[in-house]
Amino acid sequence: MIALFLAELRRSWIQFIRYPLEAILGVFISTITFYFLFMGASYIAGPGVNLSDSAGAERLDVLVIGYVLWILTLFVLTETTNSLEAEAKTGTLEQLFLSPFRAVTVFLLRALAGLAIRLILIAVSLGLILGITGSRLSFPPLLLLPLVTMLMSTYGFAFLLGGLLLLFKQVRQLLGGLQFGLLLLIGTPVENLAGLGRLVALMAPMTPSAGLLRDLMARSVGLDWAMFGIALANGVIYLGLGLWCFSWAERLAKQRGLLSGY
Amino acid sequence: MSILQVQNLGKTYRQGKQTIDAVRQVSLSLHAGEILAFLGPNGAGKTTTIKMIAGLVRPDSGQVRLNGLDPHRQAQALKAVGAVLEGNRNLYWRLTPLENLEYFGVLRGLSRRVARQRGLDWLGRLGLEHKRHATVQTLSRGMQQKVAIAVALVHAPKLLLLDEPTLGLDVEATQTVKAIVREIAASGCAILLTTHQLDIAEALSDRVAIIRAGAVIAEQPTRELIRQFSGQSYRIELEEPLPAALAPRLAPFDLTIADRQLTLHRGDLLYDLLEKLRPLAIQEIKKDTADLTEIFLKLVQEKTT
Ligand SMILES: Nc1ncnc2c1ncn2[C@@H]1O[C@H](COP(=O)(O)OP(=O)(O)OP(=O)(O)O)[C@@H](O)[C@H]1O
Ligand SMILES: [Mg+2]
Repeated sequence: MIALFLAELRRSWIQFIRYPLEAILGVFISTITFYFLFMGASYIAGPGVNLSDSAGAERLDVLVIGYVLWILTLFVLTETTNSLEAEAKTGTLEQLFLSPFRAVTVFLLRALAGLAIRLILIAVSLGLILGITGSRLSFPPLLLLPLVTMLMSTYGFAFLLGGLLLLFKQVRQLLGGLQFGLLLLIGTPVENLAGLGRLVALMAPMTPSAGLLRDLMARSVGLDWAMFGIALANGVIYLGLGLWCFSWAERLAKQRGLLSGY
Repeated sequence: MSILQVQNLGKTYRQGKQTIDAVRQVSLSLHAGEILAFLGPNGAGKTTTIKMIAGLVRPDSGQVRLNGLDPHRQAQALKAVGAVLEGNRNLYWRLTPLENLEYFGVLRGLSRRVARQRGLDWLGRLGLEHKRHATVQTLSRGMQQKVAIAVALVHAPKLLLLDEPTLGLDVEATQTVKAIVREIAASGCAILLTTHQLDIAEALSDRVAIIRAGAVIAEQPTRELIRQFSGQSYRIELEEPLPAALAPRLAPFDLTIADRQLTLHRGDLLYDLLEKLRPLAIQEIKKDTADLTEIFLKLVQEKTT
């Protein structure tokens, strides 16, 4: 299992770095994207924003975090669906099912490996941006916890989409609409809601984790453990649901002879 | 000892309201080192059968046993099988051949060290050491196919499934693939091979199974099948045209005579005839043998009508 994870890590890294120009361009583009998002955010936050004024700066940082998380989840979803499609086309997909490892295991390890590389790239981009803009986002190590729960529900989503993609080739067209759905999920300020709205937001995928991340990074509030418990349950449930759907789709795809993209 | 046992395999696809009986009651078995050519017209159900053996398509009925294990229930069964499936190269295009071999080796349960060693061995066997640092997408189609076969074999499976392995290859690459197939069969791996190039099937296979509209209509050792369909006649070619004076003496043999060529329809009279022909110079004597193409067409068409 560890050997397979390392093999996946090597494979993803080689595929990424094989054409260095392309890789550098990728980092460059994501840095630029973040940069403009940041600029846009300061525009939205209002003309009177003064970075030394802490309320203004907080609003700005909250937006930046929202965008970064949004981009991260989008990356995860598009990358999963793109690579699944590409592999169905070249024929490597069927080979993945010809393994003593269960397909869900292979894809999970693969997701982890891809994520590790993606996170490194995002950290680099973010570091550059912070250097340029002088934003005061804080990175307490505890932020890893809600980040993990956030990614768990994101991957739950990715597996759900992947499963659907095994069965229906048209699923890709959903992705466009999904982007806005994701924005809504991530942007909903669960931490400021009350009553029914809060309950719904807590049960929505990714939303509680995104709220925690905003608290931790922009508002420098400590980690609310009760809230983290909810975020964890949320992540576990959505990931479990995604994996279950994927396994179910795998069985159905084998039933209908769809693994090769017939 | 049989490595593969397939019993009464059946598969029906549904497409809208239409149902397609892709495979019906197919039974096959394969022993170590044996090459079975699985032949049939387009849409006969070859690929579907192969995918059911590999655990990629779930059969509606019947069972598959690989070394006694069921690939649809016991994932460990898949250690015993390698496959190059129809029409694709099953490789990562951005990786080099060695990186592909290493990755797929680990995916099939080898350690990295062993996978790498086997990968290097295979590159040597295939004569691809000079392409060590080239990505797969820059290799020729023939080289890609060689690597694809090596990837299917890197974990040393007992059964290799090859679905049209020579499709689109040039003469030389086809020869190489044939040589590899012979070599791995000789090392004890059982091979199930589909192809539409019947000369390849004839040259390689120990046994032939012919499938039509989902059902196996013939299964026999290749030599026997050919013998069965071959006539009893001989063709004798002389160096000079037959002297006219000789013709009356040959009448009892019921020959067909065309210039220098005599066709003898009763094989048992061969030596008597040769006695009468003495001392004419003979260019060639050949027993009339059917080739697999003729047999295939005869069988497939016969069962249609
Ligand atoms: N996933 C699928 N869904 C519906 N029908 C299918 C599917 N896969 C195969 N079929 C149908 O099943 C039949 C058998 O197909 P199969 O691919 O097994 O034939 P084949 O013998 O491999 O043909 P070829 O020589 O063209 O490769 C065909 O009629 C085909 O259209
Ligand atoms: Mg086929």
